[in-house]
Order: sequence, then C-alpha cells, then structure tokens
Amino acid sequence: MTGTARGIEVEGTVIECLRNATFRVELQNGHKVLAHISGKIRKNYIKILPYDRVLVELSPYDLTRGRIRFRYRT
Amino acid sequence: MNSVHSTSRVGDQAVVVTQVAERQWHALEDDQVIGRGDASRRPDGRIFLSIDSWQDAVFDQLAEVMLADLSKPLYTVVDEADIDLTSNWQRAGFTTRRREWEYVVSTDPQITGLDSVLRPEGVRIIPVGAAQRAPLGELYNAIRDEVQATIGWDSMPAEVLARPDGISLLDLSKYAVAAESDRYVGLVRVVPRRRQARIGLVAVRADLCRHGIARALLAHVLGSLHRSGIETAWAEVDESNGAAMALFEGLGARRASSNLELVRR
Repeated sequence: MTGTARGIEVEGTVIECLRNATFRVELQNGHKVLAHISGKIRKNYIKILPYDRVLVELSPYDLTRGRIRFRYRT
Repeated sequence: MNSVHSTSRVGDQAVVVTQVAERQWHALEDDQVIGRGDASRRPDGRIFLSIDSWQDAVFDQLAEVMLADLSKPLYTVVDEADIDLTSNWQRAGFTTRRREWEYVVSTDPQITGLDSVLRPEGVRIIPVGAAQRAPLGELYNAIRDEVQATIGWDSMPAEVLARPDGISLLDLSKYAVAAESDRYVGLVRVVPRRRQARIGLVAVRADLCRHGIARALLAHVLGSLHRSGIETAWAEVDESNGAAMALFEGLGARRASSNLELVRR
C-alpha cells in the first residue's frame, strides 16, 4: 500500500536562489518553475546552489511550482 | 510495514495515512502519494521530522499520525523565510528552540583581511587531508566534551549526519588542523564544492581559545579555497554563539538566511 507519486518528477537546473526559501529551476523542456526544497533536504543541510542539477516534483495543482526532492552530485 | 493510521477527507477525496517503513509515512489519495513524512535519528539521539505535502490539511493529517507514533521531544528544521511551512509546524504544536544564521564569506584574503594574519607562535597548520586520524579523533572528542559541558552539542549546527554510503564521521579529507608541539589544538571542517564551500565546524580547545588559532585556521582554509577558484564559503552559526558570529562578521561575512530549529515537547 505504498501508492505511486501523484506529482510529475522531472530533472532541471537551478538558475536562481530567491530570498524567500525558493529557487527558480529550469526544467529539461525549457520551462521554468519556482521550487521549494523538500523537508529531507532541509533536514540534512543539503545546500542548493545555482547550476545544481536537481530532481523536481511538480505540483499537481500548479505546474509552475515544484519541490526539489534530490540534488545530483556534481 | 504498511499500517493504516488515519483516514479523513480532504476536499472530495478520502485521504489515508499509512506507515510504509519504520520511520516513513505516506498520505494516499486514490492510491497515489500526495504527502510524505519522514523521521530520522541524528547521531546525538534526537529525532528530526520532515513532511512534504501540497495541502495544509494533508500536512496536518501526517503530523497528527507521526506525533502519535513517535516519542517526544521531536524536532524539525525550517528556513525562517518559509512562512507557510513554519506555520504548518506551529499548528502541530512545534515552537522555536533556536536560530541559526547562515553566513556567506568571501575566500579572497584581501576582502576578509586574512592576508595579514600571523599564526600564533608555536602553532602550525596541517592542511586538509594531512591530519592523522588518532590525534584528530582525540581532539574532536575533547571538543565535543567541552561543548557538551557548556552550551550542549545539540546547540551546535555542526553535527555530521551519518551517511548510508559508510563514509566515516571523521573524514580526514575534510579537516585542517592546528597543532602545537605534538598536540592537535584546533580544527576546521571544510567541504569544497565547485563554486562554494561549506565551513562545517571551527573549534579550538577551550584552554587555547582567544589566541588567534581559529583565525589562522580560517586564513589557511579560505586562502586554499581561493587559490583553487572557489570564491565563497558558507557556515551556519547558532545565534547564541557570539564568539563565532564575531569571528565571521569580522571577516566581512554577510547573513544570507536563517534556519529555525523547532521542537515539540
């Protein structure tokens, strides 16, 4: 009973760190979204910086918003 | 481990919260995951929670189940600028325990003023990766004991979290050390990345504080980063740690953001 994720997960690149704990991420298809970081990333002090490649879960309610779930090693 | 804990309605749909692993919970709607909760134990024994959801009601439902399952106190970390998430945790009964400032400091010695820093007499700096494990471990344990006896290690934003890939907590490739005679007296933990490095811990034995050893260590580490092309470094500092704040602000570091550690007792 684990279910499947409702949000769409796509890779992208962080292009800007904004002041209100959000990041502007350019997705592989060229779309740009505003994304928060996931609680696990925050909890583990993983720092997100411009040019980082990340995995973003898009909100099923607003495809211009997302949540960064994973930062790929560079 | 799949145990249904809670069922309610969010909007028109029934939402079920189920525990899917020892410290993981999912909120499901039509068998699709619409929220995740996670609990992890830090090396100091404290349990930190995280919850991700797109709706406040789902957050509340996950929090209710997790709080019922786990023994308190429970902790979490939020970016202070993330007002929505902070208020979600406050609704669940969490209150602010402490604040960490995130400082960003240039590595350029001409900006930090560290180009003119002199090492204290009799002190030598052992560069990153060259320290010996046994004396470094002894120093690390001594500093932990000193901190624990004063402000408490759980007030330090310097804990090294256990990693699943088995990397040692004392990774020699991340420490520069100050030594006096045969004794290690101070350390800096630094994690370089392509464009910015993290200063994870700066510490000096209590009997040798205020001798300029921390500045000498930072002068060495930041200078090395600068020469390797990394322009800035960041560090988290507890707001009650006046000495650390003075150290970084004295280098021209600026506050970039702040984290709140919240607790539910």
